[in-house]
Amino acid sequence: MEEESGEELGLDRSTPKDFHFYHMDLYDSEDRLHLFPEENTRMRKVVQAEMANESRGAGDGKAQRDLQEEVDELVHLYGLEDDHELGDEFVDENIPRTGVSEYPPYMMKRRDPAREQRDWRLSGEAAEAEDLGFGGWGSAGQCQDLREAYRYTHGRASEEYECYVIPEEEDEEEAADVFCVTCKTPIRAFQKVFDEHKEHEVIPLNEALESAKDEIHKNMYKLEKQIIEMENFANHLEEVFITVEDAVAMADRLGKFLKTKTDVEISAQPEFEDQTLDFSDVEQLMGSINTIPAPSAPVINPQVPNSATGSSVRVCWSLYSDDTVESYQLSYRPVQDSSPGTDQAEFTVTVKETYCSVTNLVPNTQYEFWVTAHNRAGPSPSSERAVYMTAPSPPIIKTKEIRSCEEAVLICWESGNLNPVDSYTVELTQAESPEASGVTESVVGIPTCESVVQLQPGRSYIIYVRALNMGGPSVRSEPATVHTIGSYFRLNKDTCHPWLTISEDGLTAVRSERRTPARELSPSDTHFTRCVAVMGNLIPVRGHHYWEVEVDEHLDYRVGVAFADVRKQEDLGANCLSWCMRHTFASSRHKYEFLHNRTTPDIRITVPPKKIGILLDYEHSKLSFFNVDLSQHLYTFSCQLHEFVHPCFSLEKPGCLKVHNGISMPKHVTFY
Amino acid sequence: MALKQISSNKCFGGLQKVFEHDSVELNCKMKFAVYLPPKAETGKCPALYWLSEQNFISKSGYHQSASEHGLVVIAPDTSPRGCNIKGEDESWDFGTGAGFYVDATEDPWKTNYRMYSYVTEELPQLINANFPVDPQRMSIFGHSMGGHGALICALKNPGKYKSVSAFAPICNPVLCPWGKKAFSGYLGTDQSKWKAYDATHLVKSYPGSQLDILIDQGKDDQFLLDGQLLPDNFIAACTEKKIPVVFRLQEGYDHSYYFIATFITDHIRHHAKYLNA
Repeated sequence: MEEESGEELGLDRSTPKDFHFYHMDLYDSEDRLHLFPEENTRMRKVVQAEMANESRGAGDGKAQRDLQEEVDELVHLYGLEDDHELGDEFVDENIPRTGVSEYPPYMMKRRDPAREQRDWRLSGEAAEAEDLGFGGWGSAGQCQDLREAYRYTHGRASEEYECYVIPEEEDEEEAADVFCVTCKTPIRAFQKVFDEHKEHEVIPLNEALESAKDEIHKNMYKLEKQIIEMENFANHLEEVFITVEDAVAMADRLGKFLKTKTDVEISAQPEFEDQTLDFSDVEQLMGSINTIPAPSAPVINPQVPNSATGSSVRVCWSLYSDDTVESYQLSYRPVQDSSPGTDQAEFTVTVKETYCSVTNLVPNTQYEFWVTAHNRAGPSPSSERAVYMTAPSPPIIKTKEIRSCEEAVLICWESGNLNPVDSYTVELTQAESPEASGVTESVVGIPTCESVVQLQPGRSYIIYVRALNMGGPSVRSEPATVHTIGSYFRLNKDTCHPWLTISEDGLTAVRSERRTPARELSPSDTHFTRCVAVMGNLIPVRGHHYWEVEVDEHLDYRVGVAFADVRKQEDLGANCLSWCMRHTFASSRHKYEFLHNRTTPDIRITVPPKKIGILLDYEHSKLSFFNVDLSQHLYTFSCQLHEFVHPCFSLEKPGCLKVHNGISMPKHVTFY
Repeated sequence: MALKQISSNKCFGGLQKVFEHDSVELNCKMKFAVYLPPKAETGKCPALYWLSEQNFISKSGYHQSASEHGLVVIAPDTSPRGCNIKGEDESWDFGTGAGFYVDATEDPWKTNYRMYSYVTEELPQLINANFPVDPQRMSIFGHSMGGHGALICALKNPGKYKSVSAFAPICNPVLCPWGKKAFSGYLGTDQSKWKAYDATHLVKSYPGSQLDILIDQGKDDQFLLDGQLLPDNFIAACTEKKIPVVFRLQEGYDHSYYFIATFITDHIRHHAKYLNA
């Protein structure tokens, strides 16, 4: 098929072997004889020529010329139509695309170069097809001769192509006027008479012409149909070709694959008998066939802040690959101190997720975690070790040591943890609205176990403390309640003279009749040694402080304030670091002194107070004393209070005095 | 009674005025000073009566405190003046200027020298009628003889005064030379009548409501040293009767207005505590 086409291409005017070249030489009557019967072949030849033209490539002028040449010959010979028209039809219009009618005009089109390839083959096929259909054709050689003959006879030339124009018929010689059916050739009438055509059937030329025309048309139609079929066939063939191409490629791969497989099988066979059963190899082989490796190491995440509780942490990790993982193993142990000791136990948990909440841990402790991923192939390498920390235990507020005034509270607490924590947080809500609308204020970042918090006067607060470390906050401590009414303080046992006993609630000081034996006093200066006195712990906040002391009429006492570093070996009021009101009762007379730096104004008080109100006013640098029951002002010191002072109480004779706290300043006191 | 304004001066936002009127009790023209604090413009204020010489109004420096506490301070004269009684100007501690706040019973004094009634009756009524004061809130204080006058007015009228205080008062006139001189002249020789105007004695029989007495006494006061003032007697009596007194003996201070000026604020605060309660 291909070869045929190649041969055709090789020809200058490639024509199929079996084509008869249709001679149109006017001067060659022999050839002319063939005109009618070979009409179709000629037509076909034109078709083939055209196809051949196209197969050679677009713009092959010569091929085009061939076509045009044939067309012109036809035109002139048969006077079918105006040569232009016919030529146009031949050249420009496309047969297969327009519908095939009964006698469609014989139209051909110069095909696209894109279709050349196909046509190239098509022509070959077509050639064969047509060969089958239409019988013998002029030889190639004949074609060649004729074309050359025509070359010399060309008359008009057109611009586009050399046009072999059939010269005007010269009617000098006899024109044929009848048609011999037998010979299928036009003859002159008189020839009938001659021997050749004596018994032949003869019909008038025009009749012959008509019938010839008809036949041409029929053949043309058939030809067109053939062309269509050929084209379809060509299309199918091309599809098949592509499919085959793919299949060939596939077959190559398959072939290779099959080849190797075959090799394996072949090679395994002899070995199998020799070897003992070694499953590890097989397994490996199977594994390699499965191609699933052990996973790569997971990446353990750092601890999310505030995610731990006192006994648990939530550990998370990630796997940054597409490896198959069936489970993870999380291992942990408490972080070792630098000092060597007994190895801490290591724990392991197996989970399927990429996170795990590990419980039963010790508060405020660091643990190191590492994780490995597992699948059928085995474990991954271990991840890096990450340190997670549990939250601390809650602190414990020292409720007995709470001091407050109208504007602030001083809270202190025990850490609640053996090891240090990062900081503490104090949370407070107002007691009137505990849960519902209670806003919780928080003081954060407290470094030590005490804090002074500012408050509003005249309210009640509930206070909690939390400890904080890297893992997060502890739960709340037990609450403590604070009332911002008056000032709250307690007598400080660490300061009291040995002969004084302080009550459990820290508000009553008692000096008993008996003198307890002078016990060994600690070298520290915190205890009063000379003055049988005790100091109270007032909150170190400036502003107003008011408290009351209940005393017996006949009691010898001193009540007042002193700086924290007052000399404990001296009497209250005997130095410039303390101020006090002193009452002595002797000879049925009440004597009152207001002592500071050993001096006192001369004051007579006719009614001895039973309850003394004391107002400490940092703002105005004043210390005032009142008879609470009478609302009577007794005396006011003007004192320079450059530091904080503490309430002081002294019993100069056996007896007791009681401190009253949390009292709102009475109105009469406000005048002072 | 027609009041005639003699003067008016703005002071610490309020007005210090002096008025004159015809006194019924004293049968003569009497002047008195009134300080109206800023608060008096918008409402009634308590009244605080000061008994001493008229120098008080310019020398004692009470205006600021009175202004702050919103107190109307009324300062009557020490005695009737211009009565033309024979012997009234003979000594400074008897007669003109030393009325001792008694209602004299002896001639020729009894017509005019009725300072007790004037201070406790006529003047308050006059003030209540003419000035923005609250008649229910009244206190009294004074200096020296005025201190005595304040004490006896308070002690003789339980409940009338909310509070009382004094500067160097004559506490026990029946026992001191001044008192003896004055009482014998105004009241005759019957000493039982004298006790009626003696604070120390009055305390002993004081039945009434709680009083809170503040007394300041200059330690260097000559009259104290001369035994004219006798505060100890008063204190002792108050101690016994449980009358609340705070008596302050002020080191280095004398009888003068410098002494008054030093402690006037404490006294006014003392009164404000009760008057503004």
